[in-house]
Formats: sequence, C-alpha cells, structure tokens
Amino acid sequence: MRKTFMASAVLAAALTLPAQAADYKVGLLLPYSGVYASLGNDITAGFNLAVEHFGKDLGDDTLTLVQEDTEVKPPVGLAKARKLVLQDKVDAISGIVSSGVLAALRDFVHQTETPLVVANAGNDQMTGERCSPYIIRVSFSNGQVNRPMGPWLVEKGVKKIYTLAPDYAAGRQMIEAFSKSFTEAGGEIVGGQFTPFRKTKDFGPYLTAAAASGADGIFVFYAGGEAIGFVKQYGEFGINEKMPLYGSGWLTSPLYVGAEGKAADGVITSLNYSPSIENPENERFQKDYMAAHDRAASEYAVQGYDAGRLIVEAIKASGGDKAAFKKNLSKVKFSGPRGPLEIDPATNNIVQNIYIYETKVAEDGSTSQEILDTVEAVRDAPNGCQMN
Amino acid sequence: MLTDPGYLFVQFLNGLQFSMLLFLLSVGLSVTFGLMNFVNLAHGALYACGAFIGYSIAVWTGSFWAAFLLAPLAVCVIGAVLYGVLIRQVRSAGPLTQVLLTFGLIFIFLDAFRVIWGDLALGVSAPTLLATNIHIFGQTYPLYRLFLIALGLAVYLILWLALERTNIGAMVRASVDNAEMASCLGVNVERLFFAVFCTGCLLAGLAGVAAAPIFSVYPGMDLEILIPTLIVVVIGGLGSLKGAIVGSLLIGMLQTFGQVLIPQLAGSLSYILLGATLILRPEGLFPARAH
Amino acid sequence: MYYPSKLRSAVAALLFVAGIVAAFQAGYFGKEILVEIALYALLALSLDFLAGFGGMVSLGHAAFYGIGGYAYVIMTMEAGVPPLAAMALALVPCFAAGWLLGIVTSKVRGIFYIMATLAFGQMIYVFTFQNRMLGGSDGVAGVPRIDLTAIGIDMNDPSIFACAVVVATGLVYLVFSRILTSSFGRTLVGLHRNENRMRALGLSVRWYKAMASGLAGTAAGFAGTIAAQHTMFVSPGMMDWTTSGEVLIMVILGGLETLIGPVVGAAFVVLLKHEISEFTNHWHFFIGVFLIVAILAGGRGLYGSLEAGVARLTRRKSEREQEPGKTTAQKNPEAGNA
Repeated sequence: MRKTFMASAVLAAALTLPAQAADYKVGLLLPYSGVYASLGNDITAGFNLAVEHFGKDLGDDTLTLVQEDTEVKPPVGLAKARKLVLQDKVDAISGIVSSGVLAALRDFVHQTETPLVVANAGNDQMTGERCSPYIIRVSFSNGQVNRPMGPWLVEKGVKKIYTLAPDYAAGRQMIEAFSKSFTEAGGEIVGGQFTPFRKTKDFGPYLTAAAASGADGIFVFYAGGEAIGFVKQYGEFGINEKMPLYGSGWLTSPLYVGAEGKAADGVITSLNYSPSIENPENERFQKDYMAAHDRAASEYAVQGYDAGRLIVEAIKASGGDKAAFKKNLSKVKFSGPRGPLEIDPATNNIVQNIYIYETKVAEDGSTSQEILDTVEAVRDAPNGCQMN
Repeated sequence: MLTDPGYLFVQFLNGLQFSMLLFLLSVGLSVTFGLMNFVNLAHGALYACGAFIGYSIAVWTGSFWAAFLLAPLAVCVIGAVLYGVLIRQVRSAGPLTQVLLTFGLIFIFLDAFRVIWGDLALGVSAPTLLATNIHIFGQTYPLYRLFLIALGLAVYLILWLALERTNIGAMVRASVDNAEMASCLGVNVERLFFAVFCTGCLLAGLAGVAAAPIFSVYPGMDLEILIPTLIVVVIGGLGSLKGAIVGSLLIGMLQTFGQVLIPQLAGSLSYILLGATLILRPEGLFPARAH
Repeated sequence: MYYPSKLRSAVAALLFVAGIVAAFQAGYFGKEILVEIALYALLALSLDFLAGFGGMVSLGHAAFYGIGGYAYVIMTMEAGVPPLAAMALALVPCFAAGWLLGIVTSKVRGIFYIMATLAFGQMIYVFTFQNRMLGGSDGVAGVPRIDLTAIGIDMNDPSIFACAVVVATGLVYLVFSRILTSSFGRTLVGLHRNENRMRALGLSVRWYKAMASGLAGTAAGFAGTIAAQHTMFVSPGMMDWTTSGEVLIMVILGGLETLIGPVVGAAFVVLLKHEISEFTNHWHFFIGVFLIVAILAGGRGLYGSLEAGVARLTRRKSEREQEPGKTTAQKNPEAGNA
C-alpha cells in the first residue's frame, strides 16, 4: 500500500509540468544561544549543505529559510514558532533540539496545521500518544536509539547492568527503553540512578556506587559536557579496567570524544549515525562538510542534512502545489549518509538503521569508531499514536 | 554496599574532594563579604576564567603545571582590574547595587567565554604524574583527586597560619570585626580589602584550573558552582576561615552522601540546610563578627 | 515614600495608551513582544513594591510566577475548575507562599535575605523539575485560556489577548499605587527606613513584612496565570533564579522605588533584547554592559533619572521665582512636580 502511494507521488512529480511554481518559506527553529547553541549551529550547517546538494534543480520553485533562536526555552520557542507561522507565513518549520521546546510547540503546529520536521528532539510521546500528522521526525525517538542495545548485550553475554542518566524526561525515556528491552531479552538491571540534570559534574559518588553494584557493565545516557566528565571520571576511577561501559551514542560523539581521552577506548554505544558508516552518500556528505567547516560532521549535522533533504525532495515531488507539499513530507524516502530512511506512516517517526559501534583510541590519542553491528530499519511501536 | 567500609571510605573521599573545591571558592568570597560587606556574584565567573585560561595555557605550553601556576595569577590580575575599574566605586553601596553590578559582570563574562572559547565543552588532561589511580581498601581512587584534597588542605593551613600568626592576618581579623576601629588604629582598610579581594580571585582561579581536569571546561560552569558556593558562605558565616571550611565540609558531604543514599532529595538538601540555618542562626554557624 | 506624582501618572498613562495602541496596531510578533513586556512589567513592579519600597531584595520572585502558572494549570487541567475561577483561586497559594516566606524571613536582612529568597526559589524550582506529576522538566502543554465568548470577547484573538494583558497590568499598577498611598504602604516604607523606630511604635514588623511579601507574591503569581495562558504551556524554566535576576535588572534599569520605573525597565530590556537578537546572539553581553553603566551612573535607572532631572529643573525654577525682582511668569510651567 505504502509502496504504491510512494510510486504514484514520484510519478506525479515526474509528470507534472512546471506550469505551477511556488515560493516556499521554511523556518529553522533552533537554539543559537544557550547551552545547545553548538547543536543548533551544526544542524543549520547540515541543513544548508542539503539545500546546496539537492536544491539546485527546484525548477521555478524557490526556497527561502528564516532562522529563529529558541534560546532552549519553551516559551521563547513557542513565541518564535508563532512568529514564523503567523507573521512570516512559513510553509514548514524545521529544527527543534530540546524535547521541552517540542512539547510546547506540539499543540500550536497541530492546530495551525504547520508541518514540523523535527531534526533532533527525541521525546517519545511526540510520535507516540501525542503524535500529530504535522509532526514528522527525521532524527530519532529516545526509545528507538536505545532499544536495540538490550538484546544485543544479552546476546554478547552481558547479564547484569547498572544504569545512570541525567534526571529529566529524555534521560528517563532513554533508560526506560533500554531497561525494558534488556530485561525482556533476559538481562537484569541490578541498580541505577538518575543524576541531577546539568547540576552533576562530579560523577565520583555514582561511579563508586556502580562499581560496587556487582554488575557486568554500566549503561548510561550522557551528552555534551556531561559525557566528557562522565567518561573521563570512569577512567580515573579505574572502572574501565573491570567494568565495560555501554550507552547511547552521544556518550562518545565525535564532537566530544577527543576530550574524553583514553577512557573512551572500548566504550560500546548505539546511535542512528556514525561518521564511519561506509556508503557513497556519507562519503560525499563528510567530504563536503569538512571542506566547508573544517571539522567532521556530527550526528546533529546529519539530522539537519536529512531534514533539509526531506523538505527539498517534498518540494520537488509537489510541482508547486503547497497542499501536496504538506502531504509529501511524510512520504519522501531516500538513502542518505545514515542508510535508507523512510517515515513510518503509523507514527511519523523515522524508520532507520541503528548502529552499534565501538570507540577506539589510538596511542597518539586519535579516535575512530568501529561499527560492530547494524540493526536495520528500526521502527517504533505506535504507543498509542492515532493520526488525525 | 553500605556496610562495605571500603565503599564508604571512597564516598568519604569523594565528599572531601568536593568540599575542598568549595572551600577554595568560598574562602575568598567569605572574607570579602565579611571584610567590606561586599557581595560578589561574579566569583563563579572568576572560577570559570581560571578554567578557561588554564585550558588555553595547557594547550599552548603542553603543560598542565604551567596552567596550574599561571592561570590563577591571570585571574588575580583580572580581579585587580575589575576592582580598580568597577568594584571600588560600589564597595560601600548597599547589597542591591553590588548584586546587580556583579550580575551584570556574569552576563558579560558568559558571552565573552562563548565568543573566545566557543560553545563546546573542552577537556583538560590531568598531569601525567597524577593521571593514575591508587588502591585503597580494595577500591580504586584517582590520584588527581587526592591531589585536589591535599591542595585544599594545604591552602587551609596556609591561610590559617597567615590569619592567625602574621601581622597582616591580625589586621584582617581586626578589620572584619570592626573596620572603623581598625582604621582608627592605623590599618589601611582600603588597601587590605584590595589585597584580600585579589587573594580571593587567585583562589577562585586556582579552583577553576584545578577542577578543569575533572569537570571539563564549558560555558555555564560559573553559574553552576556559584550557588553551592554562596550557600557555603552563608551557612558557614561571613568572614571566617572556620566558617568556610566547616560550611564546605557540610555541603560537600551532604551532597555526596545525599546523592547516594537519598537521591530523590539530593537536589534540595543543600537548600533545606540553608533555609534551616537562616531561620535558626541567621548569621551563619561561625560569623567572624559578633553582634 | 510613594506619591503618585503628575509625572508618574503621565508616564503610566502614556505607557498604557501605547500598550493598547500596540495591541491593535503592531504586527503579529509585536503583539507577542507586548505581552512579554506586560508580564515582565507585572513581575518588575511587584518586585519594586517588595524590594524598593519594602527593602526586601528578593532573588526568588520568579518562584511565585511559577506557582501561579502551575496552580492555574492544576486547577483547570486536573481539577476541572473553570479558567476564570482558576485564575482567582491560583492566587491563593501564591499569597500563602509569599506570606509564609515573609514570616520565616522577617528577621533576615540584606545579603542574607537575598540568599534566603534564592534558596526558596531554587527549592520550588527543583521540586517542580523533579516532580513527574507536574510534567517534570518538560512541563505541561495544552493549557486552556479563559473563555469570555459569552460577553463577546475572543481571547484567542492575539489583539484581544494582548489588550487584556495590558489592561490587567494597568489594573495591578493602580492597585499597588493605592496600597502604597494607604497607611499600610506608608508604614511599610517606614519599616524599610527605620525598623527599630517602627518596632518601638509597637508595630508588628513580622506581620507587615509577611503581608508585603504575600502581596508581591500574589501579583507575580497573577502574571504566572497569564503567562500559562499566553504560551498555553508551563515549564520549570519560568522559575529559574536567573529569571528573578533579570526582573531585578529591569527594576534597576527602570528606577527603583518609583513603581512606574520598573515598567519602563521591563519594556526597555525586552525591546533591547529583541533588537540586539536581530544581529547577534550575544545579547547577554549588552544587557550586562547597560546594567553596569546604569549603576555607575548613579543607579537611578531610566525613569529615575528622568524624575531626578525634572526635579532639578523644577527646583531651579522655583528658586528663580523666589528671587526678588523676577516676577515674570515662566514660559514652560508644567514640567511635573516630582
């Protein structure tokens, strides 16, 4: 059913003559100040690269971008979204780093029927019980990234796990998803804690507790500065010598892994992207990103890149018809740096590969990621999602 | 787990190490509070200065020890400049003016860090000599953290000797107790305050660079450390070395064991202690000035 | 001492009219900014009542903003109270919390009061952040607005909503102006000036402080109920201590102990922030510089400086008038009587 639908959309695009042309306006709603500013900048850079790569042949259609700063504050994000829709009259919004901002925007974009292409925020509910036909997520859901690690670890003989994550909605969702799949596969969670979010810099007390828990390994979700602090301290306490570390891939993101030093060696994590994925799309993406920004593209940049590509492809498929554009956003599918991608019609969350990879730190301190396993086409259960 | 003495000992060390960091930060703040009633919310920003400058020095010279020695001096100079340009003009104004002036400084530093060092967290490596761990009671503990504990204790000892056994120390104590009287006795309180303020900045910078290998360096680290430091100062009582060390130990241990034993309350414990102290002993536990 | 001088009333009236005009004339985002200004103005003028007139400099004011917002959300979304009644009922916990804080801190002064309120605010913040019943870090979305369609007012119309918020702000301003001219207000200022004398007169210092704290908390909570309806969303972020700090900055930049000054300060800071955001993301830097310059310039703030300037002119005028042999009337007599 879905396949024929896709085919007809593509066919329609091919057959439509450029008689009709539309000027599309897309709002990029991202944090450009505050703690997540670097993420906002990476996503923007990726988005712009996609427009450069795929937006050359738009025909008579045009695409303009309007950037707005959410300051990572939900009320500010909502105010800016209203401005984009009501004043700038954008056809779609893309971006959104924080789950809190996404939660604040949800009702507004749903009621105004403004497509929102989410390029990071992973809140499970937004493609679950609070899903909307207008919220399309090209990044990930918190559950999606962590679920595959449960059975995988059990299969590798890891039976007992101690978990740690920051105490906020995303941290809890990530750990809950992992714990569920891990115990279902026969593993046991022997303990765990949620650390005060963005207040914990000293993980010593928690690491000491984890080391004394008798677990086979530690599973954590930390990102950014917390990830650096956590992995370094994990090494300093010598726990890397007796207890392996697993987690969501942000723990060993290429953005921070350099600062984590030797302790990151051998850490196994799962994520929807790794720079070491081997396919022509990723090679082109990484090469051009490096040329433009003089650094390797992060998992955030690739989400911006795919969000941009999704929007451009939807424009191409719509032949200047803006109503068709709204519908086509969730029908586009393509193979990108992350591998094959499509939007699940049941939830509007992305269906994508999850990569389980190991971080290697060489003697000279340089780091690389070795992909151990690829879990293909990971799809979320609807979890109470009813479209319309 | 809780009956394992090795485990409890390591948690005790964790608490001690956090306490020492708080001590390095709070002692300078407390004495400037006590000496001139000066409220400096930018103290956390000076701590972050120490960490950021330390990071850059470590990168340029390739040596943590160079950063460890030079960054606090650089922060001390920044503090001296701030004092000359701004702080001197408001030091006799009310707490509101001082809070706001230093709040303005927080804003300026916040963006200055982002412009100069970017938004990403930066890692600093511990010196090779200390980048190892030792075994105590069957547990592993990072040597660098023991160094931090020793550093805090050493600073406490030096300050104690300086305050109790030297003329300058006597002048400081006299001025904290009664600035007018000290001034009549020929103490140049203004100059003394400047010296104490600079020492406070030096210690804040030292805390920043010393904490960098453990916590990494990132924008916003100033605000995170500011509140626990202020809590220590108020609980301990203004202007006293004893207050600063006791307050630091209380908050450090409370945080550490709270996180492990009652994680649900860990976020609020220090506020509860602060609230209780303010109600029961509004002047703090060991205020330097008798009322 | 507070007095509703002609200059103050004129500036208040001018701002009110400008607000109403902007509510109908401004572009969409302009209305959004207008509501933001009005909300901050409510916070700032109630903080001025507490800090400027009452001498209680609080760094926990944003906590009441949050209590009001969350109380409104719980009543409308959990208890099913009609929005209009919920707005009124939500003020009860705000007053109670403020009153309690006032009682507990009645003997705490200066920097210790600042720290006590900071601790209070952070405790409320941490409690909300960790409470999953209250939506935790993500907050609660889908907050309803009050429904006045029965009397022909559509609150979902951005112009009407902005207009209503401006009117509400004006009313709160009048209420505080009235309180400050009452004997309660005069006693409060007296307490600030000389607590011992007031105590010697047999006044219950504790009761006055608790009432002042409760009233300021109520106004901030009222702003919170509006904010919840404005964004249709509440989150712990609204009670971060830096929000309290920003409001304090507005009070100072506008003019402490003038009541209307903080409103000017709120408008100034919000507009400046949006203007600066047009070309740089580093608006904190510029606010910081403005703040420091304002303090070094005497700390009177924008409106405070205006008032002082007018007062100087008036004094010069009256001095000249008293000079013998100079009886000609002034050409510009109405400069205000501040």
